[in-house]
Amino acid sequence: MTRATRVLVVDDEHAIHRFLKPALEVNDYEVLSAGTAAEGLKRIAADAPDVVVLDLGLPDMDGKDVIARVRQWSDVPIIVLSARDREAEKIAALDFGADDFVNKPFGMGELMARLRTALRHRMQRKGETPVVNIDGLVIDVARRRVTWEGTEVSLSPKEFELLAFLARHSGRVVTHKQILTAVWGPAHEHDTQYLRVYIGQLRQKIEPKPADPRFILTEPGIGYRLLDAA
Amino acid sequence: MALPNVPRASPDALLALANREGRGRLKIFLGAAPGVGKTYAMLLAGKTAQEDGPGVVVGLVETHGRRETDELLQGFEILPRLPVLHRGKMIQEFDIDAALKRHPRLIIVDEYAHSNPPGSRHPKRWQDIEELLSAGIDVWTTLNIQHLESLNDVVQRISRVRVRETVPDTVFDKADELVLVDLPPDELLKRLAEGKVYVQDTAARAVDNFFRPNNLVALRELALRRAASRIDSDLLERMQSGGVEGPWAAGERILVCIGPDDTSPMVVRHAKRLAESIGAPWLAVTVERPFKQLRDAERRKVEEHLRLAESLGADEVKTLLGSDLVQELLRYAKFENITQIVVGRSRGGWLAEALGRSLPHQLVRCAEDIAIHVVTVPEPKRSPSRLRLVLPSSLRQRGLHPLHFLWSAAGVVCAIAVGRLMTALVSLPNVSMIFLLAVLFAAVRFGIWPAVFTSFLAFLGYNFFFIEPFYTLTVARPHELLALFIFLGFAVLFSAIAGRIREQAQIAVTRAQATRRLFEFARHLSSLAEPQMVAEGAVAEVQRSLGAPAILLLPRDDDLAVAAAWPPEDELDTASMTAARWAFERDEPAGLGTGTLPNVPWYFFPLRASHGCVGVIGIADRFASHAGDGTKLDSEVRTLFETLAELTATALERSRLAREIAAAKTATDTERVRNTFLASISHDFRTPLASILGAATSLIYFGSKLSDASRQDLLGQVKDEAEQLDNMVRNLLAMTRVEAGALEMRPDWVDLSEAFDRVVALAKRRGAAQTFETIVAPGMPFVPVDPSLLDQALTNIVGNAVRYAGSNARITLEASCDDDEVLLSVMDDGPGIAPDMLATVFEKFARGRGPGGDGGEGAGLGLAIAKGIVDAHGGSITAESPPAGSPAADGHGTRIVIRLPLREKIS
Repeated sequence: MTRATRVLVVDDEHAIHRFLKPALEVNDYEVLSAGTAAEGLKRIAADAPDVVVLDLGLPDMDGKDVIARVRQWSDVPIIVLSARDREAEKIAALDFGADDFVNKPFGMGELMARLRTALRHRMQRKGETPVVNIDGLVIDVARRRVTWEGTEVSLSPKEFELLAFLARHSGRVVTHKQILTAVWGPAHEHDTQYLRVYIGQLRQKIEPKPADPRFILTEPGIGYRLLDAA
Repeated sequence: MALPNVPRASPDALLALANREGRGRLKIFLGAAPGVGKTYAMLLAGKTAQEDGPGVVVGLVETHGRRETDELLQGFEILPRLPVLHRGKMIQEFDIDAALKRHPRLIIVDEYAHSNPPGSRHPKRWQDIEELLSAGIDVWTTLNIQHLESLNDVVQRISRVRVRETVPDTVFDKADELVLVDLPPDELLKRLAEGKVYVQDTAARAVDNFFRPNNLVALRELALRRAASRIDSDLLERMQSGGVEGPWAAGERILVCIGPDDTSPMVVRHAKRLAESIGAPWLAVTVERPFKQLRDAERRKVEEHLRLAESLGADEVKTLLGSDLVQELLRYAKFENITQIVVGRSRGGWLAEALGRSLPHQLVRCAEDIAIHVVTVPEPKRSPSRLRLVLPSSLRQRGLHPLHFLWSAAGVVCAIAVGRLMTALVSLPNVSMIFLLAVLFAAVRFGIWPAVFTSFLAFLGYNFFFIEPFYTLTVARPHELLALFIFLGFAVLFSAIAGRIREQAQIAVTRAQATRRLFEFARHLSSLAEPQMVAEGAVAEVQRSLGAPAILLLPRDDDLAVAAAWPPEDELDTASMTAARWAFERDEPAGLGTGTLPNVPWYFFPLRASHGCVGVIGIADRFASHAGDGTKLDSEVRTLFETLAELTATALERSRLAREIAAAKTATDTERVRNTFLASISHDFRTPLASILGAATSLIYFGSKLSDASRQDLLGQVKDEAEQLDNMVRNLLAMTRVEAGALEMRPDWVDLSEAFDRVVALAKRRGAAQTFETIVAPGMPFVPVDPSLLDQALTNIVGNAVRYAGSNARITLEASCDDDEVLLSVMDDGPGIAPDMLATVFEKFARGRGPGGDGGEGAGLGLAIAKGIVDAHGGSITAESPPAGSPAADGHGTRIVIRLPLREKIS
C-alpha cells in the first residue's frame, strides 16, 4: 500500500470532527474533513477518499441526494451517520447506495469495525470471491452449495438465492427493498412478508439456534445483515 | 349444482317484524257494540296471564258497577288513577306516568278510543297506549267496532249515531293480536233489558236508535268481517315473512283523489274499504294547480283530508303538481300502475256537470284500462261559508277598503271631466276609451272589486254624460245601447283580468319577500359563531317573521335549558318544559296543535341535525285558531316556522362543528409543538452526547496510541460538551421558570465588556468559526442585572447568530447607553430573517428555516428565553432584519437589540 487509507468525514458539527480526527489518525487513516455537502462532493471528486463517513443532516443538501450524486460516478463505500429515530431516512440512504450506517451517538470501536468491513468489501469487489466462509458456514455461490461444518445443507432455489445475496453483502446491512428487488424482482419490493417467511426457513436450516440467530441478524425496521466473513 | 329455488321472505314483511322488536305487544278485544263483554273477556284472559308470572297490572278498567266484572278485578294489581279537574268536575283518569314508572310486563287499559280531558299529555288514550308500547310494555285494551276511523261513516249511516271518538286504522292494524268478543244480538238485547249494559251518558233516544236489532246485526257483521280480514292479512304476512309463496294480491291498485270539498273524507273512507276488501294497496293524491290558487281554508281542508288518508293507512299520500287535473291524475295513475280510481261526484259544479266537464266525466272519457268509482255522497247543505267560496280570495283576504272605492269613483269623475273637455275641443268618435283607462287604473291599483265597481260607475257616467239624450240614463238609439253593454262587459272582463294579474303579482312579491327573508336569515345565522348567538338570532328572527313569541332550548347538563327567547324569558312552566323535553327526546313536535300535550301554550319543534336532535324551538299560540277538536297552528305559519327551525338547526350544528374543529386544531397544534420540541431536544442532546461518547471511546480504545496533545484535546472536548449539555439543561429549566413566572433574579453590577468576552469565548469554544467584534461605548457604566441570566440571554442570541449567519459571517456585539437606558445589540451580516418570521422569532419553538440540516435545528427556545430574561429585567428585546441604519454589505443581516432600563449608574 503506497498511501494511508483515506477517510473523508462530512459533518457540519464541529464537535464530531474534533474527536473523529485524532481517533482515526491514530488508527493510520488519513482524515479529510468537510463541513457541508458541497465541500464533501468536491473532496470526493478531487481527493479520491477510500471511504466516506457522511452525516445525513447537512445544512446545504439532503444526505440522500449526496449519496445519489456520488453513486453516479463513484462506488466509494459510504457509511452514514444518523440519529436512531430517523429510520426512514436511513433506509432511503441505504437504498440510494450507502454501504452501512452507524447510529449517533456511537462508540469509536463500532465505527472502526464498520470502516474495516466497508473497506474489505471494496477490495473484494475488485476480485469477487465465489466462496464465502463464515465461522464454518460455507457458501459456494458458483456451485450452489452450502455446508455447515462440513455437512451439506439442503436449500430450496429461492432460499439459496436469498442466502447468496446476503453473502455477497456479508457484514453489511441490506434493506428489505434491496433483497426483495434482487431475489424476487422489482414487482415485489414491498412484499416483506415473503422475506420474513424465507428468512425464518433459512434460519431453521443454517442457524444452530434459530431463535437466537448468529448468522442472519435482523436490523429492526431496516433489513438484514449476514455476519461478516472473518 | 344449481341452487334449489328457495322462496325468500318478503323484505316488507321482515321489516315490519323488525320494527316490532323491542316494542310491547298490543292485544285488542274487539266487540260489535257496548255490552258484549269485552272487558269481562279481557280480565278473564288477564287471569290466565297472571298464572304465567307476575307483572300483570290493571291500568284502568271501568266496571260500571257490574258485579261479575268487579269480582274478576279482585287479585289484580290496580294502578291508582289520576284525579283531573274537568269542567268543574273531578274525574279519575288513567295515569300514564305511573304506568311508565311501574313498567309492568303487561298492562290492561280499557277503552282504546277514549278521549282524555284537555290538559292531558295526549288528547287520546290510543296515544297513551302507543307510548306504553314503545316503552316495551305489552298492552291489552278494548274497542268497539264503531270507533274505527274507516268505519265511522258506515256506522253513522247504520245507527244514525255520530261517533266522535275514533281510533286511526293504522294503529288498529298494528295490533299484534285481535280477539273478537262476540255476542248474538238477541242476547245483547236481553242483557240491555236486564240493565247489564252500561251506555255512556247518551240520550235515551240515541240508545234506542243504536240498540235496534237491525243495527246490531249490521255492526256485528262489520266486526266479524273486520276480524276476518285481519286474520287474512295476518296469514298473508306470516306466509310472506316465512317465505311461503302465497296468494299475492291480484295486482289491483287503487287511487283516491282528494280535494278541499267536504265529501272527500267519505270518498277516502270508501277507497279504504274498497282497498281492504280486495286486499289492494291504495294511494291518496291531491292535485295542486298553479293557476288555481287555493284559499287558506281550502288548503287546510286538503291537508286535513290527506292526513285522514294517512291515518287510514294509505300506502302513499302525495300532492301532485300539474296544470290539468285530469291529465295529471291519469299520468300519475299510469306511472303507479293504478287499476281503479275513486273520486267523489261533486267536483266541478252544476255547469261542468251539465257540460260533461266534471272530473268523473272527464276521467271516464280519458282513462284507459282503469275502473272509475264515483262515490255519490249526498251534497252537504250549502252553508253560508259555502257561499263565500264563490267570492275571489282578494275580497276577503285583504278586505275592501272604502277609500279604494272612493278613489275609483274619483277616477271615473276624472274620466268624465277629461271626456267633456276632449269632446268640447275635438270631435272624438269614442269616449269610452277614457273610461276604460279609469277601470284599468282601479284594477291595477286596488284589485278586482273596486274595478268592477268602477266599470258600473263608468257605464252609468258614460251613459249619463255622453250618450244622447244627455244627462239622462235613457238611451235613444238602440245601437248605442248595445255599445254601452258591450262596454260594460268589456270593462268587467278587463277588471277581472287586471285584478287577477295584480293579485298574482302580489303573491309573487310576498313569496319573493319570504324567500329573501329566509335567505337573509340563513346568512345572518351562518355569520354567528357561538351557539348562544345563533339561538338569540334565531328567536329574534322567528319572532320578527311570525309575530309570535319564540323560545329556543338547548341541552345543558343532561337537561334542556332556555338558551334564548324573544320577548326575553328565562323559564318555562312545568307543562311547557315537559312538552319541550318530549319534543327533544322523541325528536317529534309537541305541545300546541300536536298529539302530545296540546294544551301547552307553545308549539315545540325539534331542531334536527345530522347527529340527532340539537335542541328545541318553540313559538307561542298567537296563531292558534280554535278549530275542530283541538287547537291547530295555521299550516302556513307552521311551514315557515319549521323551515326557520331547520335553518336554525343547521346553524347550530355548524357552530358546534366549528367549535370542535377549533378544539381539534388547538390539540393538534399543541401536539405539533410538543413533537417539534421533543425532536429538537433529542437532537440537541444527541450532538454533545455523540461527541462525549466518541471522544471517551477514542480515549478508551486508542488512548495509549494517541499523542498527549490529542488526548488532552479529547478530554477537553468531553468537558466542553458536558458543559454544553449543562447549558442546555439550564436553558430548559430557565424556560420552565420563565413560563411559570418564577425566574429567580440576583442582580449585581455587571461590566458589559467582560460579559461580552465571556460569551464570545464560549461561542468559539463551541466551534464558532465566525469573526467576532465587541464594541463597548467609552464610559459605559456597570449595569445592575443578574450576571448569569444576562450571560445566558447573550449566549443564546449569539448562538443563534452563529447557527444561522453562516461560517463566514461577522458578528458584532455592541453596548451603549443614554441617560436612562442601556442598549445591547448583537448584529450579524448573515442572510437575515425572513420578514414573515420576524414577528415570531421570540416565540417558543419558533425556528429558523434556513439551513435544512441538523445544524439548523434547535429547540427554538434560545430567543424565547432571552426575551423572558430581558422581560424579567423590565427591558425590551426587538429583532431587526436587515438592521436599521446599518447598510450591511449584501442588504441582509440581523440585529437583536436589548434595551434595559438604567435607574442608577456606577461608572
